[in-house]
Amino acid sequence: MATTLQFALPSIAGRRRRPRPDSRSIIRPVRCAADRQALFNRIAPVYDNLNDLFSLGRHRVWKRMTVSWSGVKEGDTVLDVCCGSGDLAFLLSEKVGITGKVIALDFSREQLQIAASRQSERSKACYKNIEWIEGDAVNLPFSKSSFDAATIGYGLRNIVDRRKAMEEMYKVLKPGSKVSILDFNKSTSSLNSSIQDWMIDCIVVPIASGYGLANEYHYLKNSIKEYLTGNELEKLAGEVSFSEAKFYEIGAGFMGNLVATR
Amino acid sequence: MVRRSGVLLKSAAAGISSRLAEILVCPLTKQPLRMCEKTNSLISDSIGVSYPIVDGIPRLVPSDGIILQSDQDLNSSDPPQTNSS
Repeated sequence: MATTLQFALPSIAGRRRRPRPDSRSIIRPVRCAADRQALFNRIAPVYDNLNDLFSLGRHRVWKRMTVSWSGVKEGDTVLDVCCGSGDLAFLLSEKVGITGKVIALDFSREQLQIAASRQSERSKACYKNIEWIEGDAVNLPFSKSSFDAATIGYGLRNIVDRRKAMEEMYKVLKPGSKVSILDFNKSTSSLNSSIQDWMIDCIVVPIASGYGLANEYHYLKNSIKEYLTGNELEKLAGEVSFSEAKFYEIGAGFMGNLVATR
Repeated sequence: MVRRSGVLLKSAAAGISSRLAEILVCPLTKQPLRMCEKTNSLISDSIGVSYPIVDGIPRLVPSDGIILQSDQDLNSSDPPQTNSS
């Protein structure tokens, strides 16, 4: 099945192929923000297709849930942080409509270029209300209390200073508004963690290595281990002054969504 | 209605919408930014930094900021010089 699917995907690997490395010798920690920025620039060309492949398309459902939990409605001005290639931004724009506005921010120039290309290829009028910003989640370039809702999908786990990012999101939200944060679930269940590790080691990394991206997707496993559990995320939200915070496990417990209210 | 369209068109030609311009601030100082149409950039006057707009996308990561060398850069029609130090 993996082979059949691989033939269906764009042959980015043909242009990028390099000798398959011994993974034990070349795995480097992806610690600082600059390393992570470079990583997301490198995976940008295949990011969307690999998301579909690895989640068997389920990421689209989880993202719809994230948008729904944000409380976004027509006419709102909303923020998507770590927008990547724009999946959440496009969903948000359908909700806010032509009278609303979506501001979508990411620090990866390559991901933003793909997002802007996808926007120009789409015909729905509401997509024109999305503005892309190259920016840093820990230094948001927005004035206080600007947004009616915010989302961040598969981003918070990749931010080195998560507390600062949460503080920034708190400040730019209007009082009473919510941020909806989707990511992998760092499960407290050892069974879930083991299955998650197995899936990354035995499915994700081998497929990614076909695209010369083994190191980049190996990072995924370590980033989940270093992430916060649902309880820890709720606690962090409280510490940065969100009035309410609730974490929901979804995707059979492999994914989770924190909803925090300013 | 006509005047608002004009404002929107003017900002669009400069690279960002007026609605966006109302929300954007300097990522470091959180102070308002000034649009410079000649250089197609956003100026943070309080710290003398210019953030470029490329292909309609403002680059507002702090490290994208270009330090303006002098008061002349703030007002001149030439693009600001990159800080060499």
